[in-house]
Amino acid sequence: MVNMFKPQTMEKIELIIPEHQVVRATEALAASGVFHHTPSTQLAFRTPSRSINEWQAWTTDLVALERRILFVMEELKIDEGTPPSPLPHIIEPRVAELDIERLEHEAERPVHELEAAKRRLTQLQKYIGQLTPIANLDVDLGTLRNLHYTFIMLGSMPVTNIDRLESSLEHIPFVLITLHQEGHLATVMLFGLQRDGAVLNRAARSAYLNPLIPPEDYRGTPAQAIAALQAGIERTRQHIAEYEREIARLHEVRIRHLRYLLWRVRASHALANTIASYDRIQHAYLVTGWVPAVARSKLEREIAGVSEAVIIETLEPLQEDIGHIPASLENPPFFRGFQSLVTTYGQPNYDELDPTPIMALTFPLVFGLMFGDVGHGLLLLLAGLLLASRKVKALRSAASFGIVVALCGASAMLFGALYGSIFGFEDVFAAVWFRPLEEITDVLLFAVVVGALLISTGMIYNIVNAALGRRWGYLLFNHNGLAGLVFYWSLLGMAARAFDAPIPIPGDVLTILAVIGGIGLTFAEFFERLVEGRRPLFEENVGTYIALAIFELFETLISLFSNTLSYVRMGAFAVAHGALSLVVFIIAEAISTPGNVGYWIIVILGNLFVIGFEGLIVGIQTLRLEYYELFSKFFSGGGTPYRPLSLIPKAGKLNASENTGG
Amino acid sequence: MVQSAIIAYSPVNATTRALYSTLLTPEVRRALVQAPNFDVLITQLEKTAYGPYLKINRELLTPRRTVYQLRLHLTHVYEKLIRITPEPGQQLLIQLWRLYEVDNLKATLRGIETGASWDEVRHLLSPMFRYITLTTDDIQRMLATGSIMRAIERIRHTPYYDTLIHAVERYETEKNLFPLEVALDLDYRRGLWESIQSLKGMDHEQALRLVGTEIDADNLLWAIRYRIYHHLSVQEIVNYTLPFGYKVRDEDIRAIAEGMDIATIVKRIYPHIELEDTVTRAKEELSPERQLALIEHALNRHIRNLCRKTFIGNPFHIGIPLVYLMLLEYELQDLTAIVEANASQLPIDVLASIIDIE
Repeated sequence: MVNMFKPQTMEKIELIIPEHQVVRATEALAASGVFHHTPSTQLAFRTPSRSINEWQAWTTDLVALERRILFVMEELKIDEGTPPSPLPHIIEPRVAELDIERLEHEAERPVHELEAAKRRLTQLQKYIGQLTPIANLDVDLGTLRNLHYTFIMLGSMPVTNIDRLESSLEHIPFVLITLHQEGHLATVMLFGLQRDGAVLNRAARSAYLNPLIPPEDYRGTPAQAIAALQAGIERTRQHIAEYEREIARLHEVRIRHLRYLLWRVRASHALANTIASYDRIQHAYLVTGWVPAVARSKLEREIAGVSEAVIIETLEPLQEDIGHIPASLENPPFFRGFQSLVTTYGQPNYDELDPTPIMALTFPLVFGLMFGDVGHGLLLLLAGLLLASRKVKALRSAASFGIVVALCGASAMLFGALYGSIFGFEDVFAAVWFRPLEEITDVLLFAVVVGALLISTGMIYNIVNAALGRRWGYLLFNHNGLAGLVFYWSLLGMAARAFDAPIPIPGDVLTILAVIGGIGLTFAEFFERLVEGRRPLFEENVGTYIALAIFELFETLISLFSNTLSYVRMGAFAVAHGALSLVVFIIAEAISTPGNVGYWIIVILGNLFVIGFEGLIVGIQTLRLEYYELFSKFFSGGGTPYRPLSLIPKAGKLNASENTGG
Repeated sequence: MVQSAIIAYSPVNATTRALYSTLLTPEVRRALVQAPNFDVLITQLEKTAYGPYLKINRELLTPRRTVYQLRLHLTHVYEKLIRITPEPGQQLLIQLWRLYEVDNLKATLRGIETGASWDEVRHLLSPMFRYITLTTDDIQRMLATGSIMRAIERIRHTPYYDTLIHAVERYETEKNLFPLEVALDLDYRRGLWESIQSLKGMDHEQALRLVGTEIDADNLLWAIRYRIYHHLSVQEIVNYTLPFGYKVRDEDIRAIAEGMDIATIVKRIYPHIELEDTVTRAKEELSPERQLALIEHALNRHIRNLCRKTFIGNPFHIGIPLVYLMLLEYELQDLTAIVEANASQLPIDVLASIIDIE
C-alpha cells in the first residue's frame, strides 16, 4: 500500500565483471529486468579502452547489418514480428554477416528477376502505346532505319522538351510530329535529311527523345509488331507470376529465420551498446546502477546463475546522486492510465510522493461532477471497458486509458443518479440530490467546497513531501506548507462563518490562526533560513525584505482565492451539461413532433454530440484542474524514470533515430 | 491588399530581420579566414550562430562533418521561415528548399555508382527534416540496391521518379550520370519558375528579380560550362539549358553555344554590374576555365548586392525571407570553402580571393 504512494526504495550497486564474462553477465542483468544502469561518476575510469572501442565498432556494424536484414525482409514481404522468448544470445557481426549474405544471395535472383520482368512489361506496354498511332502504316519498321536520304526517328520524349528540341534545330531542316501524348510523355516522329543525321541524333538525345527500338522479335509492320508485343506481354506476365510464387515460397521458408536473426542482431546491438558504455579497470568492467531493494536478491540470483566471479557491492548514494535516483512507480495495473497522465506532466522524483493514487481518486470525481448523466456515463463506461479489453486492434496502444475512461463513466453515472439525469431526460427518475439546472447556486457552492478540499489535499501532499525530504523550514513556512494550510483553512473558516455556516471553532480563534499563518508566510524565507541553519538570514536589506514579503503575502492570498474560485467551473460545467442536453430536446421538438422517428434521430445524434464534444471539453478541463490547480501545489516533476536494462529495442528504433544524413 | 500583405508578412519580416542580424560580420569572416588551424576555426565558429550545431564531440568534427553540422543551421532557418511564410510565397520557399533534395538525390546516385555505403554518403547530404518528399529511408533504400535502375524504382512515390525513369534509358546506354543530373536540374528549375509565375504583385516582382536572377546565372554558367568543358554541340547546349529567365534570353544562350565571345555576351546582359575589369582582363590574359570562375564570382557578387538592396523600401513581401535565405546560402558556401581550405592548409591569400569577405 505504501508503495502506491511512494516510489520503491532503491539501492545503488556496483558490479565488477571479469572481462571474459561481460557478455553473459550483461545478458543476466537484462534478464533480471530490474537493473537500471547509470554511467559511473568516477571520471578516472572513463578512458575508452581498446575493448570499449571494439564494442563501439560492433554497434556500428550491427546497425548496418540490421538494415540489410530489413531490406531482405521487405523484399520477401516479411514483417518484423515480435521479439522471441527467451531472447537469443549475442551474435558476432562477422557471423551474422555470413548468414545475411547467404539470405541476400538467395532472395536476390527472384527479386531482381521480378523487378526486371515488371520493367520489361512496362517497356512492352510502352512500345504498344507508341506503335498504336501508326498501327495502320503498312511499312516494315526495319526499313525506316535503313533509308538513304531521309532520317526518321520514332520515340518518346517529355512533353516539356518538345519546344526546346524544335528551338535547338533552328538552322536544320526537320519535321517533328507528335503522334500521341500520355501524361508527361509524348510519342513523336522526327524527320530530317540523312546528311544531318549526326546533328539530329545528338539533338534528339539531348532532348531526351528515347528512340523506339523494339527487340528483334517485335519487328515487321506496326500491326505485326503490336501482335508480337501482346504475345510478349502475356509471356512476361507468366514470368512475373512464377517469380512471385518463388518469392512467396521463400517467404514461407525464411520467415522464422529472418525474424529470429533480426531480433538477435537487434539484441546484440543493444548489448554491445550497453557494454560500450561501461567503465574499465584493467581486466574487468565496472558497472554501476540502481536496483529496487526488494529485487536485489533476484538480481543476485540471475548473476550467480552465470558467474560466481562477478562482485556485487552496495554503494552509499553520493551527494550528486540526489535528484538522479530513478523513481520506480509501483502502481497496480489498474492505475497505469493515470500514471501515464502523471508522467506526461512530469516524472516524480525519488524522494517525493507519487501523485498517481490521488489522481486516480480525484480525476473521475471531478469529471463525474461536471458530466453527471447516467446514460452518458454508461456509454463511457462501456467504451472504456472495450478499450481496456484490447479487443479493438487499432486502439490497443491506448488500452491503458480504458480504465480512466471507464472510471470517469462510472463517476458520471453516480453523479447522474444524484442529478436525476439519463441521456438528458430529467423526468425519468427523481434526483437523489438536486438538479444542477434548478439549483445553480448550490452546485457552484459544492464545486467550491470540492475545490477547497482538493487544494488542501495538495498542500498536505506537499507537507508530506517536505517531511520525506527533511526540508523542515520549507515544511513549516512555505505557502503550500503548514503555514499556508493554516492560513488557508482559517480564511475558509472565517468565510464560512460569514455565510452563517455551522463552524465549531470560534471566530477569534480563526482570526488568531490566520494571523499566525500570515506571519509565517510573510517571513517564510527568514524562518526557513533560520530553521535550516542557512545564513545570511536576509539576502537584501531588512526594509526591502519586509516590503517584498508583504507583497508576497498579498500574492499568496490572491492566488489561494483564485485557485479556489477556479473550481467553480466544475459547477458551471455541470449546469452546462444539463443545458446542452436541454438544447438537444428543444432542437428535436422544433424539427419534429415528439415521438416521431425524426425526433428520436435528433435526440440520439444530439446525445452523441454531447458525449463526444462536451466529454472532450470536460476531459480537458479535468486535466487542467489536476495539472495546474492540484499538482502545482506539491509536485515538481523532473525526476529520473526507472528504466531497467533491456536488450529488446523498440521495433524500428535504430532507423528512427536517423534523419536525412543525421 | 497592402494591409493584408502587412498582416501576412509581419511575423516573417520580424523573424527575418532578427535572423539577418546573425549573419557573419566582415570582422568574423576575416577572423575565420585567418584562423591558423582547424581547432581555432571551430572555436571561432562556436561563437557564431552556428555554435549550437557544433556542440558535438570534437573528435567527430572532421571537415566534412563540420560542414554538415553548419548546414543544420540553414536547415532550421529554412524550415522555420517556410512555416511562418504565408501562401503562395510558402510554396516558393518550399520549392527553393527542394534544391537541396535534388542535390541529395544526385549525391545518392553518385554514391550508388561508386558503391559507397550509407556511412560514407550520409554527411555529404544536406540535413532535411520537413517539407521533403525524399526521406532518409528512401536514400538508404536506394543505396542498398547498388544499382541505379533499381534505386530509381525505390522512389516511385516521389516527384523525381518520372524524370529519372525516362532519363535512365540514356544512363543505361551511356553509363554516365550526366543525363540524369541534367534532367533533374532542368526539371527542378522548371518547377521553380512555375512557382515564381504563380505569385502576384510585389511577391512576383521580387521573386522574379531575385530567384529569376539566380536562374539566369545558373543557365548562363551551364551554357558556358557545356561549351568550355564538355564541348557540346549548339543543339545539345540549347536542349540542356532553360528557355526562360529574368534577363538571360534564348538568343544569349544560343550565342554562347555558337561560340560568340562570352565576355561580350555577359556584358550585354549585365551592362551595369562590375564585370568589365574582370571580363576584359579575363579575355586578354586568362584561360577559359579561369574566365568562367571569374564570371561566376562576379555574378555571385551581383546577386549579393541585389539581395542587400531588397531591404530598402516596402518590406512586406516574399523578397525579405528570400534575400535572407540567399545570403545565408552564400555564407554557407563561403564557410564550406573556409573549412576545406583550412583543413587542406590552403594559403590565406588564395582563400581570401575566392570568398566574399565584405
